[in-house]
Amino acid sequence: MEELVTLSKYPFLNETKQYVKDNNLSVIELLDDPLYERARAIGVERLENAFKDRDVGNRSLVSESDCIMEILSYPIARMIAVCVDDNYFIRRYALGEAVHAYKNLINESTNFLLEIAQEFKFNIKYEEETNKIRIYFKDYLRNAPTHYKEWKMINRTMEKGFLHIKHKELARIIQEALRTRINSELDMRDCNKSVYDIFSSDIKRIQNTVITYRKKIQVEPIGKLDLKKLPPCMKHILSSIQAGENVPHMGRFALVSFLNSLKLKTNDILKLLSTAPDYEEEKSRYQVEHITGSISSTSYKPPGCEKMRTYGICPVDQIDNLCRKKRHPLSYYIAKWGEEKSKK
Amino acid sequence: MGSFSTTKESLEFLKNLFSQYYESSKVDLPDRFSRREFAFITFGGKGMIRHIGFNKKNQFYRFIKTTALSHIYYSSAYYKKPDAATMQEKDWMGAELIFDLDSDHLPNVESLSYEQQLDVVKKEFFKLVDDFLLNDFDFDQRYIELYFSGGRGYHCHVKDPNILSLDSNERREIVDYITGRDLKDSLIFHEQITGLKRYGQRTYPSAKSLKMPTPDEPGWRGRISRGIIEIVEEIKKSKKPIIKLKDYGVNDSDAKKLLLDLSEERVSRIKQGKLDQSKLIRKFFLNNALRNTAVTMSAGETDEPVTCDVKRLIRLPGSLHGKTGLKVVKIPINKIDEFNPLNDAVVLSDKPIKVYVSKPINIKIKDERYNLKEGEHIIPTYLAALLIGRKAANII
Ligand code: SF4
Repeated sequence: MEELVTLSKYPFLNETKQYVKDNNLSVIELLDDPLYERARAIGVERLENAFKDRDVGNRSLVSESDCIMEILSYPIARMIAVCVDDNYFIRRYALGEAVHAYKNLINESTNFLLEIAQEFKFNIKYEEETNKIRIYFKDYLRNAPTHYKEWKMINRTMEKGFLHIKHKELARIIQEALRTRINSELDMRDCNKSVYDIFSSDIKRIQNTVITYRKKIQVEPIGKLDLKKLPPCMKHILSSIQAGENVPHMGRFALVSFLNSLKLKTNDILKLLSTAPDYEEEKSRYQVEHITGSISSTSYKPPGCEKMRTYGICPVDQIDNLCRKKRHPLSYYIAKWGEEKSKK
Repeated sequence: MGSFSTTKESLEFLKNLFSQYYESSKVDLPDRFSRREFAFITFGGKGMIRHIGFNKKNQFYRFIKTTALSHIYYSSAYYKKPDAATMQEKDWMGAELIFDLDSDHLPNVESLSYEQQLDVVKKEFFKLVDDFLLNDFDFDQRYIELYFSGGRGYHCHVKDPNILSLDSNERREIVDYITGRDLKDSLIFHEQITGLKRYGQRTYPSAKSLKMPTPDEPGWRGRISRGIIEIVEEIKKSKKPIIKLKDYGVNDSDAKKLLLDLSEERVSRIKQGKLDQSKLIRKFFLNNALRNTAVTMSAGETDEPVTCDVKRLIRLPGSLHGKTGLKVVKIPINKIDEFNPLNDAVVLSDKPIKVYVSKPINIKIKDERYNLKEGEHIIPTYLAALLIGRKAANII
């Protein structure tokens, strides 16, 4: 059994879950018993911190009771997150848990990281004498933030299917794996009625914060772009990005090259993208500049409807009459402007 | 060529040939057969018949025997419902990793003959399979299948269960790795301090040398190192090194300087991983070593390589290519080098047939060279099919 402190730093571990189970705690007790009042308060705090600071936050883990409350706050936070019932919020919360874990992980031993990596079923080779860590390329591809140039597979040493990584990088890969896992776990859950009732005031408060935040980002004008005139495909991609959904590369590519063709500046494009819960300035800038040609010398043309369709990013169920007349998202947008003028 | 079009008789001729072929040969079907989408193009038909699924192999064979097909494709992906009309309903379950190297996608090949184009593609294909898939990625040979495309290229299907679930972003990373995109200089070169000076209490670096990887290192580091050494040796061996360097795009004065620089001693230092050269020359070496050792998959950067598309249709192995009459044949992995499509993929009969050739053609097929001028000729059926398919001849 790991130390209690360790379990409370990594409440997502199977071992931690087992610990909660072994203590025979029912959900009702967790939600109701005054004994766990503090765990419930920390649960809410986790969510609020994650939304505000991208990190669920540190609390004192000195006493046994500190640790227990920290451990229990995790399942509580998750239950509440599901009841907030907002994709963007859930993404942001998952990110906050993952970043928090990462900050702790970088200070652990490599062997400890390997244990955690096992939970994610990574195929890793570790040579203790030379301190060489190697990870199977598939696990790397799945989880490493390869949108960063230095994370691209080509900029690592690859040896017989395994990529060399450092301690800190393994921690980062675990962070990504954890984030994806929490996302998909929470996506599958439904809100528990008693959780909703007990935390209803917290839930409403959080929902309001999210709405206010959303409004704020929608009101700020972005260059001369008129969001309302975007074709259905671009609206769809943009809102998926803003909701923190996993948008395929081709979708991001289509949107950015489209905006670039409308002469939006890199900074304005970034402003639009920055509303995503997992937005990372540096990574996005690299992507955008690549597509707009400021670092790659070629500026890419946005794909036409035909290509959009083959890539499954034309929302066939949302296309309108104008779509049927057009062959390119750009001509859709331009025609929309035309419509407006002729009305005047 | 433009105005020359295939006559009805020629079309009929091809149609019969293909039917006979499908009548008499058993086309191997892909694994997970009933989960695949099939697509067809018929002789004279417009567009592609898509979203076809088969539950039983016999259904499939009956279909290809009774329909005049010029092209047969199947999906590299497998689906819960392969015959559904939309991707959503099809329900994707996974897909082979496909590499499609075609001379159509390669830069500067238009001026080459069909045979030369095939050779150029084959070189790229060999690098892909040998250097990348087998070596760097360490894929098991039994999961790698190689095919001649029947046209102007080669296909490689990777069926390792580990990679079937990769999404399109992940596949793009693999493509970027193989095509050498976004390689950072700092992965390859770094400065090493080779001398120190003392001033009072402190030491300062007094000499630096530029380290580059050695040829035996794994991955891209070793590859670039081998690439650089190859270029150096090529220049050293060349009788006209200046011209060689100019071919590489180096200007006259730089070429002279570089050549002076490449003393025997320098060369042996390079082999040990020490590259003390100016920034310009470093760039020259890196760029060219990269270009020589990476696999060229597409002409322009905007070209989306097939590999990233997880819902792609690909020519069915064992079928005939409608524009050449050549068979999509499997190539044993250790036989890439000796594979000769204009021999090994020729399956149609050699019965002589009279055709009108619309432009001069020089081609070696089935070990025989044909140097045909515009006009009437009697040539074997397989050659007639190839020329008709490429709109260079008609039956008369
Ligand atoms: S039809 Fe074209 S413009 Fe309309 S949604 Fe589809 S891709 Fe976009």
